[in-house]
Amino acid sequence: MTRLEIPLGALTGLVPVGLAASWILAANGRLAEAEAAPGSQPAVAVAQADERGYCTPALKAVLRRVLTSCGLVGADGTGGRGCQPANAKSVATMEGEDFNALFLPLAERAAIVEFDKNDATLDPQDAAMVEKVFAQRGGASYFLVVARASPEGSAVHNSELSEQRGRAVMDHLAKTFQDPELEREVGLLWLGEEYAQLDADFCAWSRSGGADCDPKAINRSAFLAWIDCRI
Amino acid sequence: MYDRSPPPDRLPLIVLTVGAALGLLFASVSTYDFAQHLDRQVHGLHCSIIPGLGAPDASGTSGCHVTLMSPYSSVLRSLFWGGLPVSLPGMSMFAFLLWRGASGLLSPSGQDKGAAQSLLAAATIPLLTSLGMGTLSLFVLDALCKVCLGIYISSLVSFIGAVWAYRAQGARGGIEDAIGDLPSAAPSRALGLLGALVGFVALPAAAWAALVPDHGKYIGTCGKLTATDDPKGVLLPLDPHPGGRAAIEVLDPLCPSCKGFEDRLLASGHAGALDRKVLLFPLDNSCNWMVGGTMHPGACTISEAVLCAKTDAKRVIDWAFVHQEQIRTEAAADPEAAKRLVLQQFPELKNCVGGANVKAQLNQSLRWAVKNELPVLTPQLYVDGVRLCDADTDLGLDFALGTILSAPPSSPAGAAAPARGDR
Repeated sequence: MTRLEIPLGALTGLVPVGLAASWILAANGRLAEAEAAPGSQPAVAVAQADERGYCTPALKAVLRRVLTSCGLVGADGTGGRGCQPANAKSVATMEGEDFNALFLPLAERAAIVEFDKNDATLDPQDAAMVEKVFAQRGGASYFLVVARASPEGSAVHNSELSEQRGRAVMDHLAKTFQDPELEREVGLLWLGEEYAQLDADFCAWSRSGGADCDPKAINRSAFLAWIDCRI
Repeated sequence: MYDRSPPPDRLPLIVLTVGAALGLLFASVSTYDFAQHLDRQVHGLHCSIIPGLGAPDASGTSGCHVTLMSPYSSVLRSLFWGGLPVSLPGMSMFAFLLWRGASGLLSPSGQDKGAAQSLLAAATIPLLTSLGMGTLSLFVLDALCKVCLGIYISSLVSFIGAVWAYRAQGARGGIEDAIGDLPSAAPSRALGLLGALVGFVALPAAAWAALVPDHGKYIGTCGKLTATDDPKGVLLPLDPHPGGRAAIEVLDPLCPSCKGFEDRLLASGHAGALDRKVLLFPLDNSCNWMVGGTMHPGACTISEAVLCAKTDAKRVIDWAFVHQEQIRTEAAADPEAAKRLVLQQFPELKNCVGGANVKAQLNQSLRWAVKNELPVLTPQLYVDGVRLCDADTDLGLDFALGTILSAPPSSPAGAAAPARGDR
């Protein structure tokens, strides 16, 4: 045994002890620092509904009024379902063209289910479109169904017809998706022929009808869209 | 001319000493990376065969990360947070070998027979440990840790040096002499060396156990579920144990951390005490609007398959865990690849995967996360509605889960405490 052996042993033996102790004490220090300043840690995102760029204050204001008045937002679910033509305009507090313009940014998200004249039945193509659009919910909070009728026949009849069209969509959603929260997710408006008729430009949108499209045909319809706004 | 070459029995000791010094360096790097995590924060790892080369890897996907976060990186995990890293006794062993090698080099007469034998015995320990850990790494974890590789190579070099030194010593004094002298070689010296070895290993371990921070106070302080009802049936049975503590695991079937978490949970021995359900949260923006990009391509499709499998969900998840990398890679190149792969394995799900209903159901899973304002990350574990802190889902899992499970179900540790991010 050399005279250096024991000091050398003590020295090398202390290396693991010293290093381990210093590292743990450093970790203790960082832990104490983090406790002293909890905000210094990077924040983790929290799950929340989507909010797209088209959710302008104007759109949100209208949506809030429409959804509240239609018994969708805030409520206990007893506020009724749907807005009728008589109150849709007053709720929206704007002209029909302005009302429609709010939905133009939804061109990629929305679809128009077209019905036969004087009819409120979903054919297989219509049903498939309803299912497809509803399944593509993403982070949206509300699903709007805006049913209309073309200006043929009486206003009263067209009001009833557009209500039936909206309810046909709603019934199909309920039957297909069995979503217990459907009533709180779907906003239903029926506008008859009296308010916010669609113009021919909407013929270029995703539709369930055939190639032929005119202002009358496009209004025998239900406009469907998920709304990616936090209201 | 003066002969500068070392005496014949010096070269083996030089080999041994260099191997031990390198081993000490690599084991220190590994232990340092482990110790960094004791502050409950996220750290990059030094994952290089040349320590200090390159910036620490913070991706969380390296072989070093997989190995460090595996159940095999430490022992005694139930006793204290994180347990004792296996690299710490590794440091001690290499320090011991370094001492013995250096002592032999400094001794004018080299080392005696007993010292050569004890050196050989000591060098066998890191070699056997390296063989065991390397086998686990390659065949169980399927990961190559470069720092660990450095330790394995150093162990081999040390062992070669020790064998060589032993043979050289035997040749110098005669093998018969070496063997014949063993019992009387100096039992007190052999015992002294054994005692020193025990001291080399025990002291750092004791210091570690004594100084490790108290993590018990953080358990249960990272939030809780606010709406545990599940009217839309988005929570699927993952590992049912009727009578076990209600647990909800938030996972992405293609998330490597989720796979690692599952391995750690099973290895912890606590899985049997949990009645686990799964909430799918794919980190793939083709269905999840809450993530900025597609972190795990194909995760939405595989999640649909899990939902389609209903009570058989675990079978699909287990398959996805095994084939994560293949699915992610192929789905990144071809969006239809995930569907093709999962249907090859589970053809009975053909009429469900990709359908409107299952897409809506997956969306409802994500909405359940929104309703409970869950953090956008995976994995997460909630026991009796109380969230296990992120730091406690990896190295501290055994300790944290053991603490929660030892508390009564009605009063999980810190259940009422406000949510706080700990990372």
